[in-house]
Amino acid sequence: MNSLHDILLKKPLPDEWLHGLLFTTFTLHILFVLLTLGTAIIALYYFVDAWWGGKLSESRWDKEILRTFLAHKSLAVVLGVGPLLLIQIGYSVPFFTAINLFAPYWILIIVFLIIAFLSFDALAHKNHVHHYLHLTFGVIALIFLLAAPGIFVAVLLTAENADKWMAIVQNGYRLSGPISYHWLFRYLHVIGASLVFGAGFHYFFSTKDETRKKKAMLKWIVAGILIQFVLGIILYTTLLEKPDFITNVSVFTGLGIAVLLLWIIYLTMDKKDALSIRTGVPLLMLIIIPMLLARQFIQNKKFMPFEKQLQSNSVSYQKTLQPYTIAALNNYQSDLKTTYDNGETIYSKSCTFCHGENVDGNGSEAKHLAILPEDLAAIRTTRPYLLTILTGGVSGSAMPYFTVFDRYKLESLIDYLDKKHHILGLPDPIAVKIPDSASNEAQIIYTETCSKCHGTDGKGTAFSKGFEPPPPDFSVFSLSTRRAFDIITNGYTGTVMYPFSNLAEDVRWGLVKIVNDKRTQ
Amino acid sequence: MQFPVYEIPYLGNGMTIGLDAILHVIISHGLAIGAITIIVISEYIGFRKSSRDWEKFAKEFLMVNIIIITGIGAVTGVGIWFITSAISPNGIGSMLRIFFWPWFSEWIVFALEVIVLLIYYFTWDKWSGESKKKHIYLGASYIVLGISSAFLITGILGFMLTPDGWPWNKSFWSAFFNPSFIPQLLLRASMAFALGASFSMAFLLFTRRESVFRKEALHLFGKVFLVSFIGVVIFSIWYFNVVPSTFKTHAIFSILDSRFSQQPEILYIINAIGIFILLLFALFALKGSVFSSRFLIIPALLFCIVCVMEFERVREFIRGPYLMPGYMYANQVLLNESLFLEKDGMLKNAYWYNKITDNPEVIKQGAYLFAQNCSMCHTIGGINDIKTKVKGRPEDGIFVIIGHTHEMVPFMPPFSGTEDERRTMARFLYQLSNEKINIAAPSRFAPIKEVHNE
Repeated sequence: MNSLHDILLKKPLPDEWLHGLLFTTFTLHILFVLLTLGTAIIALYYFVDAWWGGKLSESRWDKEILRTFLAHKSLAVVLGVGPLLLIQIGYSVPFFTAINLFAPYWILIIVFLIIAFLSFDALAHKNHVHHYLHLTFGVIALIFLLAAPGIFVAVLLTAENADKWMAIVQNGYRLSGPISYHWLFRYLHVIGASLVFGAGFHYFFSTKDETRKKKAMLKWIVAGILIQFVLGIILYTTLLEKPDFITNVSVFTGLGIAVLLLWIIYLTMDKKDALSIRTGVPLLMLIIIPMLLARQFIQNKKFMPFEKQLQSNSVSYQKTLQPYTIAALNNYQSDLKTTYDNGETIYSKSCTFCHGENVDGNGSEAKHLAILPEDLAAIRTTRPYLLTILTGGVSGSAMPYFTVFDRYKLESLIDYLDKKHHILGLPDPIAVKIPDSASNEAQIIYTETCSKCHGTDGKGTAFSKGFEPPPPDFSVFSLSTRRAFDIITNGYTGTVMYPFSNLAEDVRWGLVKIVNDKRTQ
Repeated sequence: MQFPVYEIPYLGNGMTIGLDAILHVIISHGLAIGAITIIVISEYIGFRKSSRDWEKFAKEFLMVNIIIITGIGAVTGVGIWFITSAISPNGIGSMLRIFFWPWFSEWIVFALEVIVLLIYYFTWDKWSGESKKKHIYLGASYIVLGISSAFLITGILGFMLTPDGWPWNKSFWSAFFNPSFIPQLLLRASMAFALGASFSMAFLLFTRRESVFRKEALHLFGKVFLVSFIGVVIFSIWYFNVVPSTFKTHAIFSILDSRFSQQPEILYIINAIGIFILLLFALFALKGSVFSSRFLIIPALLFCIVCVMEFERVREFIRGPYLMPGYMYANQVLLNESLFLEKDGMLKNAYWYNKITDNPEVIKQGAYLFAQNCSMCHTIGGINDIKTKVKGRPEDGIFVIIGHTHEMVPFMPPFSGTEDERRTMARFLYQLSNEKINIAAPSRFAPIKEVHNE
């Protein structure tokens, strides 16, 4: 189905270790994610509560609760790095594919988190913010914060369901049908868990024996667990495949412990120190661990066969590539030795394939081009004009612009060509003697025919400026007399410059002289 | 080619990573290492001199720092990884495997770093008096962790430009301790302290009123700044000396781009002006002159940031066609794979290509070939727009040019595919540049709109 090859085949750790480490690090990460979400939600709730109750000036619970946000979110981010590394090593193809399918959202997580983190931290550290502003900031931050787990859940869910990838693509990169319900309740289940764990944290660690606050947090825990029961049942029914025995055992263990926790809370509710840290914390951990284990079991069951098949396909692709390795490395070696900082190298690498090794326009690729490459050895031009062509290209022809080379490099290219072929010189004098009658005829032909495109001054006309390619500017660009004669005789293949072989040879030489004189004038 | 392709519209992949990474580098170097070092030093001075001014400055500056470091710095750091996971799964997947252990250690160090920083922050008031020494040691241990983190990451970053013998021997040690490792580490450390000192001075100049303290602190931070700045200059020269000249020669273009590459003097003039401002600023800071420093701190800080951007841009750009030199091109095609695909064809070997919804053949194939070959750097209609790059070229010209991208423009990878595929992509690009088809996200497999306006 798919193929991984070469380095992507390497597994730095045995699978068992990888899965074990992944589970441990993921559990730690999720724990702090839940604390971050829970803290944010509960803090915002108490802000609204205080505002409506007119207690904004009293000691503010929301401030106290939000103070721990800084630590929670930092640890959530940091601890997320471990599982991200391990899942990308362990399950490359499903995970990367899922990320890719939701790439825009996945990348936006960065922006969402920055907005949420900065806003909540600012609210926690700033003493006086106007309450409308506080509420606006808080709500926006919470929305962005809550978006992140939604995206993560979608990515993991997609990674687990390779059979749904095509449906997702065909749906415009969206989840739809049963998988979207499953996504919704899985997401809500995370939010529900964050209420339980967020409240649990503040119950044990930040209430400082304040009975009223402790009671309130206890209510959050109970309410959270009850919500989780409902959401959990729905989630269980939306599972895409029937869970296997071991998954069921894990889920129902977690469920059982949650019931036990509720029962203990019920029994001890009226006592002063209701739920003690020594029973509460281990019980909460005993709920989350089997639940996450169940998740991991479902995931492994989906990922493992996929990875196995992948490995075998990859080995064969790697074998296919093997024969090309030595050639590839040799190319690389010679690339490392080539530096594009001198005219000679630049010409041989960037120009030769069209203009040819002999600089005569007969490069290996010339045969593919309708407009033949210029015979560079024959051009006689000026440095500024050549720079214009090199930096602008010739519109309508294959000649591209070469601003990828800075001016120093282009100058060295020009110097190199000039040294070898005197391209910055003036055209050589015409060896043939041209009779006056031929000169006169040539002049008439130039005025009547040539000047329509080339202009009386040789600079081109408004009409020919739109040609693809336009004619060159004779006042700064000319050719060796031989080449000029050839072009007048045979035309320039692929352009509107057509052959004038019907003219007498003397007349054609006369035209060469006229054109050359435009240069010297 | 087992992963679908995604390219970020308008901004382009490179620019998106670039924006995220620059933010990360400025914060991770300037604040997480540089500024926190200054804070620990200030705390120590406050403790030695029993000065409340130093102590208060350190504490208040720490709060600003910790919010930015954990809120933006950490997120953008992971963000670099997030973005590469989406656009370059083959690349990041391979890098993770070669450098698994440094990466894993880096994670442990990073986690410890944040934990120590949080403890340092939350215990500031509690660990006073007798325990103050302990608190300062904690701060110092944070700096050690921060630098270890830089150590681990620099090995990996250096590899991406100077892999040394790795393409041949595939040895981890020659990959990690590659030639640019030490100069880059020293350069990054100097950058961190120079940036840290400038941020500290900015905070000092705009929030403190106590004139004696202000002068004293300005003098000290100015000294730190000047020394680190000299370090930056020396180590950049060392760094660029170990970079192979085949890469180095694209440095000017990497900054000036097509728009300014014909006026290379601009680069030298701007840098000369910047260095002059920085030296002037350092001089006033050393003198303890508050007024002039306050006037110069903003341009100085801006130029420091420009310097960082310049360095990162050059480093990222000049490795040119490679994501991992000697192994993988920037478009995630392996060097040997490219030769294979040239014979066998890219579309045949691309898993996701066959899943594309119905489109006219040329567009369907051309768009996919473009996405796979070019979209790592080129967008359609955004930054580094391919339409403007091929504008004016006839179809045959495009065909010839894309067959020689790597030779003609040394920092471009070669086209990977057969001659027929090259012809298909040329036709696609030609039609695109002449507005005959309109498409923004070639890899997203959606039906593509054909424009009939011939």
